[in-house]
Amino acid sequence: MKRMLAPYLAFAKKSFLNKSAYRFDHFMGILNTLLKIFIFWCIYRTLYGARTEVDGITMAMVTTNFVLSIGLDALFSVNDYYLPDRIGNGSIATELLLPVSFQGRMLFENLGNTLFKLFFHFLPAVVVSALTVGILPPAGAGSFMMFVVSALFGYGVLWSVSYLLQMFSFWLINMWSLITIKNVFINVLSGSMIPLWFMPDWMAPVLKVLPFSSIYFTPVQIYLGQLTSQEILGKCLIQLGWIAVLYLCGNFLWEKGKKKLVVQGG
Amino acid sequence: MTFIEVNNASKKFRINQRASGIPGMIANLFAPKYEYRQAVKDISFSIEEGEMTGFIGPNGAGKSTTIKMLSGILCPDSGEIKVGGFSPYKDRKKYVGNIGVVFGQKSQLQWDLPVLDSFELLKAIYRIPEKMYRDNLERFTEMLDMSGFLQQPVRQLSLGQRMRADIVAALLHSPKIVFFDEPTIGVDVAGKETIRQFIRELNEKDNITMIFTTHDMQDIEKVCDRLIIIDEGTKVYDGELMGIRERFGTTRQLDVEFVQECSVEPIEKVEILELDQRKKRFIFENRDVKIDELMNELLAKYSIRDINISEPEIERLIRRIYQGEVS
Amino acid sequence: MENCMDVMHLIGVYTKTIMKSWFQYKVDAVLRSLAVFLRESTGIIVVYFTLLKFDTLNGWNVYEMLFLFSLLFVTYGILILFFTGLRDFGHTVRSGGFDRFILRPRGLLFQIIFVNADWFAAIGHGGLGITLFLVSAAKVGIVWSFDKVVYYLLAIFGGVLIQGAVFLFLATLNIYLLETGSLKELFYWNARKFAGYPVSIFHRAIQIGMIYIVPFAFVNYFPAQFLLRKEDMAAYPELFLYLTPVLGIVLYLLAYLFWRYSLKFYKSSGN
Repeated sequence: MKRMLAPYLAFAKKSFLNKSAYRFDHFMGILNTLLKIFIFWCIYRTLYGARTEVDGITMAMVTTNFVLSIGLDALFSVNDYYLPDRIGNGSIATELLLPVSFQGRMLFENLGNTLFKLFFHFLPAVVVSALTVGILPPAGAGSFMMFVVSALFGYGVLWSVSYLLQMFSFWLINMWSLITIKNVFINVLSGSMIPLWFMPDWMAPVLKVLPFSSIYFTPVQIYLGQLTSQEILGKCLIQLGWIAVLYLCGNFLWEKGKKKLVVQGG
Repeated sequence: MTFIEVNNASKKFRINQRASGIPGMIANLFAPKYEYRQAVKDISFSIEEGEMTGFIGPNGAGKSTTIKMLSGILCPDSGEIKVGGFSPYKDRKKYVGNIGVVFGQKSQLQWDLPVLDSFELLKAIYRIPEKMYRDNLERFTEMLDMSGFLQQPVRQLSLGQRMRADIVAALLHSPKIVFFDEPTIGVDVAGKETIRQFIRELNEKDNITMIFTTHDMQDIEKVCDRLIIIDEGTKVYDGELMGIRERFGTTRQLDVEFVQECSVEPIEKVEILELDQRKKRFIFENRDVKIDELMNELLAKYSIRDINISEPEIERLIRRIYQGEVS
Repeated sequence: MENCMDVMHLIGVYTKTIMKSWFQYKVDAVLRSLAVFLRESTGIIVVYFTLLKFDTLNGWNVYEMLFLFSLLFVTYGILILFFTGLRDFGHTVRSGGFDRFILRPRGLLFQIIFVNADWFAAIGHGGLGITLFLVSAAKVGIVWSFDKVVYYLLAIFGGVLIQGAVFLFLATLNIYLLETGSLKELFYWNARKFAGYPVSIFHRAIQIGMIYIVPFAFVNYFPAQFLLRKEDMAAYPELFLYLTPVLGIVLYLLAYLFWRYSLKFYKSSGN
């Protein structure tokens, strides 16, 4: 098991170390995250005004939602161009010859990045936010543990969405437009720009049939203790379901795309 | 008539010494540290109207900086440059209408559009009169055999075709001086020959003054009358191309492939290099060793599969010149 | 006169060339413009949903907010038609493109401005700006009298120039520093993130930044205030309502002087 994983861990380590080379960009990234949190905090502070709660949601809960979901958004940044770049410059052909699974490599390089960002982006951003705009503590030790688990699944959903989308680069040239449009959906429907409590009711069915709300909002709800254990179990199963469906669809396209690549020589 | 006059031109570049890390970056923002590199040092030369001059030198010798000062991109720190009565940097807008520049590494054509569209754009930029444009276009297209791809997008052209189109682009406004910066780089042998012939012919018929930088000794030999060699920012040779041969003789090299592995006895005034087990390279001076005698000697003594004679590459010749074997 | 005709002709040829390059990839062009349009709509959709719940943000209702946004997008749409070359100036310097500009008998800034235009961004941003304007203008209670129309046009002009000045200033820094992407991110794009909302909702320090340092507040907030007169204007001097065109011209001139002064330090890209 350990031997099988070794090359993937090496990929993860490589991208972890690569990341640390661009320090200035890195600090700009943290600043960017903090600014986003700060802007939304300012907006909601004004919206709440003298009110202590709206629909049972307090300002502190809203702030916590933004800190966590914008923080996770920064933490999870998946490289949407991993496959498109390799197809674009033709290096995919040689990479397929390596004795490691391409998907595994894709995932672990991203995990290396994410691990780096956990310590050097997410945690600093959360600490600074906690000291400035404030953040609620988790509802309990159990909630916190389930938050971590569900956040991990959330990452899985986000990664799988990107994975499925990237497969289209076997057939389409302009991935930029498609990826940009995907990100519009994530930004609007995942809760990182508008807390999903405040979504109009007629949007509820849309949220239900799309995977985006289980990326950040499910973990946030668990963190705040808004869900019963039964609901937590249900939501986590939904997350796993999405991962399975998206990944399998992605794999189906991957096999087709690979065949096309072999037949046409790229 | 002296057309280009360069007197003691020097150019120094300031290179920012960046300290690493965030504190270094911030320190750099407020109190930057610099190091100076002298790219060109007190260079002087003059070129007559209609002359065809080759500039050579190793990478980083100051060729590009000199060309950029002559064409007005860079301003010399000290010294004076006059071209056709203009000071290139100060009189930029008036001056550049009289020059054409071809950068072999950097096309000025519109990547996605047919060649002709780029030419039409240049016609507007340089305010080329209709008749001059038509005449030039027709003449150059024929000389360079380009009619086949004028309507093709640049991105679909081969490197040789693109280079020909780029050369025409630099000539449409009938410049009096043309700078060629590595105009044959990456082009195949036949393509290089076409370009060289074209340049030669243009120089002779139109009396255009030309300056040529290259790494290819063949370019220089087939195109230029005069050679200026630059190294470490200074001029180390300036004279006729023929002169250089007479003064230094010519180094030749003979690559010999033997039928079987063998050791070769030392030969007087010949340097012998081991290429691999059966191949050896013999390097010698034309004036010291007669090539036919050497070949006869080798053929008599050893059984030989193949012999190949070649000129040494330009770098070797230049190295010899600035290592003081010449002056 | 002849000179003027010649310049107009050249601008025409440049524009024709840009459009022709653009139409080489029709599907791609449509998709890109659409993607930019949707990407920029994100913030609008979020505000729209939020205000369905909360009605007003510091006294600004949905349509007033959309009007505020529309100024930001309309000015950027126009800006990017003229200043794409300044936005991408760092790349132009590094790739040797600026050397080529120097070798042509035309003004340098003239070439930078007219040689390229990002039509995807122009259509995406501008289209969004116009859409927002059409949706909101009739519903925010502005009586479009002659002087208001003139004011609006002047405000657009000033807003374009203010942002143009920031672009020109950042582009000039490329002559000294090779890489300025991070500075642009810091001073332009981050400031712009705040600019969609009424500046009055932010902390004092941010307000000072948006008014005195990177004066985005004059691009949309104060012009919108002139037309809408919301209560939060009480915190600022009345004079701010009229400054946008003047500020645009002054800042652009300052940036232009800095550019002229800096050109002699240009050292061409390394070999």
